[in-house]
Amino acid sequence: MLWKDVVLRLRALLFRRRMDEELEEELQSHIQLQAWKNRHSELDPAEAMRLARLQFGSFVCATEECRDQRGISSIEIFAKDVHFAFRMLRKSPGFTAIALLTLALGIGANTAIFSIVHAVLLRPLPYADPRQLVLVSEARPQAGISGLGMSYAPFTELQEGSHAFSAIAGLGAHALVLTGYGEPSEVSTVVVTSEFFSVLAAEPLLGRVFIPEDGRRGAAAVVVLSENLWRNRFGADSGIVGRSVTLDMRPYTVIGVMPASFHTPFVNQANQVWIPLAQDPLYSVWMTKPPGEHWMAVIARVRSGISATRVQAELDTIGARLAKEFPAEKGWAIRIEPLQQVITGDVKLPLLLLLVAVGLVLLIACANVANLLLSRATSRSKELAIRIALGAGKGRIARQLLTECAILGMLGGLIGTLVAYWGVATLVPLLPPSLPKFHSVRVDGWVLVFAFVLSLATSLVFGLAPVLSVAGADPHKELGEGARAGESAGPRRARALLAVGEIALAVVLLTGAGLLMRSFAQLTSVNPGFEPNHVVKAMVSLPQFQYSTPQQWVAFSEELATRLEAQPGMQDSAIAGPLPIVDCCVTLDFQIVGNPPLQEGAADTANYVPVSPRYFGVMGIPLVRGRLFNESDSSSTPAVALISEALAKRYFPNEDPLGRHLMFGFPVNGIVSREIVGIVRDIHDVSLGKEPGPMLYVPFAQAPLYGAEVVVKSTLSSSAVVGAIRTVTHGIDKNLPVTDIAPLPEILNASVAQPRFRTLLLGLFAAIGLMLAAVGIFGVISYSVSRRTHELGIRMALGAEPGSVLGMILRETLALTLIGIAIGVSGALATARLITHLLFKVPPYDPVTLVLVSLLLVAVGALAGYIPARRAMRVDPVVALRHE
Amino acid sequence: MAPDPSRLDLLQGTLDLLILRALRSEAMHGWAVSERIQQISQDILQVNQGSLYPALHRLEHRGWIKAEWGISELGRRARFYALTAAGRKQLEIETENWSTLSAAIARVLRMA
Repeated sequence: MLWKDVVLRLRALLFRRRMDEELEEELQSHIQLQAWKNRHSELDPAEAMRLARLQFGSFVCATEECRDQRGISSIEIFAKDVHFAFRMLRKSPGFTAIALLTLALGIGANTAIFSIVHAVLLRPLPYADPRQLVLVSEARPQAGISGLGMSYAPFTELQEGSHAFSAIAGLGAHALVLTGYGEPSEVSTVVVTSEFFSVLAAEPLLGRVFIPEDGRRGAAAVVVLSENLWRNRFGADSGIVGRSVTLDMRPYTVIGVMPASFHTPFVNQANQVWIPLAQDPLYSVWMTKPPGEHWMAVIARVRSGISATRVQAELDTIGARLAKEFPAEKGWAIRIEPLQQVITGDVKLPLLLLLVAVGLVLLIACANVANLLLSRATSRSKELAIRIALGAGKGRIARQLLTECAILGMLGGLIGTLVAYWGVATLVPLLPPSLPKFHSVRVDGWVLVFAFVLSLATSLVFGLAPVLSVAGADPHKELGEGARAGESAGPRRARALLAVGEIALAVVLLTGAGLLMRSFAQLTSVNPGFEPNHVVKAMVSLPQFQYSTPQQWVAFSEELATRLEAQPGMQDSAIAGPLPIVDCCVTLDFQIVGNPPLQEGAADTANYVPVSPRYFGVMGIPLVRGRLFNESDSSSTPAVALISEALAKRYFPNEDPLGRHLMFGFPVNGIVSREIVGIVRDIHDVSLGKEPGPMLYVPFAQAPLYGAEVVVKSTLSSSAVVGAIRTVTHGIDKNLPVTDIAPLPEILNASVAQPRFRTLLLGLFAAIGLMLAAVGIFGVISYSVSRRTHELGIRMALGAEPGSVLGMILRETLALTLIGIAIGVSGALATARLITHLLFKVPPYDPVTLVLVSLLLVAVGALAGYIPARRAMRVDPVVALRHE
Repeated sequence: MAPDPSRLDLLQGTLDLLILRALRSEAMHGWAVSERIQQISQDILQVNQGSLYPALHRLEHRGWIKAEWGISELGRRARFYALTAAGRKQLEIETENWSTLSAAIARVLRMA
């Protein structure tokens, strides 16, 4: 019905002339027929015609009414309104330019931020039926630990015993050394069980993906390459499938290439390979070990139609069985969480915060444009009053004003979209690297739809004020005597209200930005507990098949350390396991020898680092008591450990930990008893924002790893240091890659990329908001001054001092500003707790921020009011009164 | 032309019913519709010519009647209107409504 109506209306519009002609012919035909009948009553033809016309009545009225039936009018009116709106906008280019600029800024910023939110939060993960995908993790509710990976044995139990999942797979990631094609280099290696690709329902670009046979132990070593690696390293060789590549000095047969559009969950690398778990030099050993190490991330696809509660019930049953079977599984529970939630969970709040902030900027922009429109409506009130007096309906005028607003909004949106394109291009390189990158951030169809809807909604919001002011318009008053003296109270109050609203919104925005800035300042002024300046790190990892025994690792690391220290200017070199903040972290359970055993399921944990003797000197971590490690601590001497102050305080509150023994160890070297020989200062191991926790250090020689970070403190330039590390490493073995080279200060800097990004953007939005609000106050006050020129003239003529006029205007401004600040501060107090999670060492109700923001706004308000107030002061009474 | 007190003006809405009824048996042009109504009502019901055509266009817009060009008694082109299936249904409904209404009014007049 509606569609047919539209068709008829369109036909009426497009074939208007023909339809008009036909209508005229039809009506003429009627009159002819009537005249023909009249002639039967024996009148002469001319008289009969005249009578027929009389009988018909107004030809024009009938035509008009028939036309109305066609429904042509509303489209025609719209076309006329659009035409008129363009003419009005052209007539006042200053107004149009300011309004469009404000709107384009607001809509553009919103669209740009929305394109990030859309790509990161709203778009589903790029897998088939992504809502069926879950992360299966282990949690130890008693210890408040959750979201950990699984060991291999529980995983196989799940694989065999669960009916809720249609497919389940495990994955882990590390790096292997690719040799043979160009320079030796590390490639990000995803170690997967054979169902990995079928869980994600991913299809290869070339060849095939893994089948269950590939996952068996003893099967041929196979590898799937990423499209990126295939293009960059293998020149997009179409015959790659079936060829052999060398990873960690061992041949793998390429069976397939995955398209660049395929992303491995949690692993953010473009150059990637996938190998079956059984073929991995590092993780394959874990397939036969008893559970206890939560190293494998497990993803699964839930069968359609099975609720989360049913899945959980099944997992609880399996979990209970596991706890009986394996002692290490006691106290652990298996949990599921939607994969999308796991991946986007961390960035949701900051991104939504930015979206809200930029929405507030748009609201301020709307208030500004509404203000401009109101001022114009007042100057146009005479035009409108005349039209009402001449018979135009108020509805008709409101409709025309709304059309004008819609045109303004659409044009603003159009320019805003260009702003958004530019904004996205600027923002993308600034995006923190930790942001999930399943979809590229760009202005696409949905984002354009968003911009369009936003423009329309915006037009309605800022169009409301002038339309309402028409509804209250009274032509008698407008056209009557004395209409010139000033404007009526209605619009003036509306404008003051808008200015107050703008200030309030700006206060909320600035408070948010202020809190984030203070928090960021706190975060970056945190003393990490070590001295990062002049320290460069690099990673050297040993191919597993060549260097397979701990003895070889120790020998290599000692050789490396000796040769590095021999280099000029490189005396301060050390080797360590996971570096603080850089790699974070290996957490191990430990037991205090001599203490009663803990409750079942509970455990004490600490972060664990094997280090070479010079590590503490290089990193500037001071010794509190006891001794540091030295060259004589080796695999043949008693096992020793250093603990951090936090560990000492928490676990040895009333006794001396020196001389006590702790049982712990990285499983490769086994869990052994180690004597505490010293206590060192705490460091921020996890991140700057997280309080230092308990730490365990052991001599690298007593707990070696197959690869390690090299740290060098040197006054040499970092490129010289890196060059020396390369030369020394390749002097030992020319096939060893040296990777992940970076100065520590840079890494610390990058570790706060996310808070920096949101602080920067929110600060920018707050600045724009403040600027717009200042323009808003300025507009309201200067308009009020210009409307009141007459009144001010009388005041001056009656003896008011210029200073008192200035004071009056300023008081008016400050009153508006103070009301706005009061509302804004209450708004900020009501909403600030929503961002508590994003704040570091700053309470959400931080009085310093609130006071500073209020003072800033008072200053800005005073400045914005001062300029028009000075103009008011200079009003010449003679000119002002002659004007009347 | 002075209003003729012996002829009744049509109530709003009843014109639609009369037009639909007039077109029930055959297609005809506008003038014939007005003549037919006048004739059947024995000149009591006078169709205002100025409202006849808007009403015809309205009914056409609603899909109750459809129009085609034909040749009138004078050999000129004229638009002939015919009832559509929807129009036939509408006529039944409106006839029903009208009978109910007029019976009700008649009862009120008798009782009052």
